[in-house]
Amino acid sequence: METTAEIKQEVQPPQVVQQNILKIADLDIEILPTIYEIIRCVEKDPAENRNSSAECSQKILELKKRFDLARSQIKQLTGIDFNKEEQLQKREQLKSQLKLKQELIAKYKNKQF
Amino acid sequence: MSHKSTREKLLAVVDDYEIVSKELIENALAPKHQKISSAEHTALVELLVSKDEELKKLLALAAEQETVEETINELRVNVDIQDSEIQKLQRQLKEAEQILATAIFQARQKLASIAKANQRPVNSEELIKYAHRISAADAVCAPLNWMPGDIRRPYPTDIEMRMGLLGKSELNLNGSTGISALNNMTTPGGSSILAGLQQHGNNLGEVHRTASTGGLSSSEYNDIPNSTHNQFSWNQMGDLHMSMGSSSVSLDNRHKDTSQDDVEVMSTDSSSSSSSDSQ
Repeated sequence: METTAEIKQEVQPPQVVQQNILKIADLDIEILPTIYEIIRCVEKDPAENRNSSAECSQKILELKKRFDLARSQIKQLTGIDFNKEEQLQKREQLKSQLKLKQELIAKYKNKQF
Repeated sequence: MSHKSTREKLLAVVDDYEIVSKELIENALAPKHQKISSAEHTALVELLVSKDEELKKLLALAAEQETVEETINELRVNVDIQDSEIQKLQRQLKEAEQILATAIFQARQKLASIAKANQRPVNSEELIKYAHRISAADAVCAPLNWMPGDIRRPYPTDIEMRMGLLGKSELNLNGSTGISALNNMTTPGGSSILAGLQQHGNNLGEVHRTASTGGLSSSEYNDIPNSTHNQFSWNQMGDLHMSMGSSSVSLDNRHKDTSQDDVEVMSTDSSSSSSSDSQ
């Protein structure tokens, strides 16, 4: 058991290193409302709002920023380097590998010489 | 398309989303005569909505994959632990193999020694007796409890000399061929020299005993083979004679007087101390 604890300590540091990982829950990709606001702003009567042009430009810039942010956040997401099928296949491989190794260790540890 | 990763799909959808939204905004900003028809506008809006839905679906899929990834990470950690365990076991097995190999090698050596010992068994009592005799006779000085009349000598006796390599070399000088010659040459009693020597070796204690009590006469010593037939022979005075045909040359012992003096000092028994070969 001591060795298991030691190994866990050895394995943990690589997880700490990966701090740029972003979770789906932390994601902020809301683009549609911004587009709606831009179209509304454009379709406003110029007589009602003189500053509509400047506002529209600002909102368009904001939309561009939103797209860039969405792209950078997507790049930071974890677990999407493969498609779902490949990922599940990989998980099954790891499961069988783990089972095999556990059986191997049990076989040699319980063997009476 | 099916081989694309979820990340690539998401980025592609975002790109499409951007293009469609750009078209829509440009159309909204365009003058009235350049604007697209309402049907096309509706299609563009529907495309935009579908892209938004696709993005949301992909994000939901990414969330699922995130959970799966966590499971994969746990599995990886466990596999690493098992790997370390296996490596540790392998190392221990290797060490055990090395220790066992050494033990087997030593055991084989011991078995070979045992087999060799079983082939020619030696009586332990006899071995101890012989060891005592060697330590008594071949010492560089007399034992502490040595007294005048003690038969023990700090040098090899005549019989021991004959049993040694020098005695055998004498036989070779006479033209006999080694052990076979030894076996062929017989004593007046009929037994072979080799057997006689072995007997001498075994009954050396008895010889000493009889010699000390005067039971062994000089004529009996003369019965010992080769002494009279060799080129080199010891007479009773301790001189070494080399016989050459009919004549013999006497080789004076340089330390004759001193050795005799030593012997006189060590023993008072005249019959046994007159010369070294009388023992």
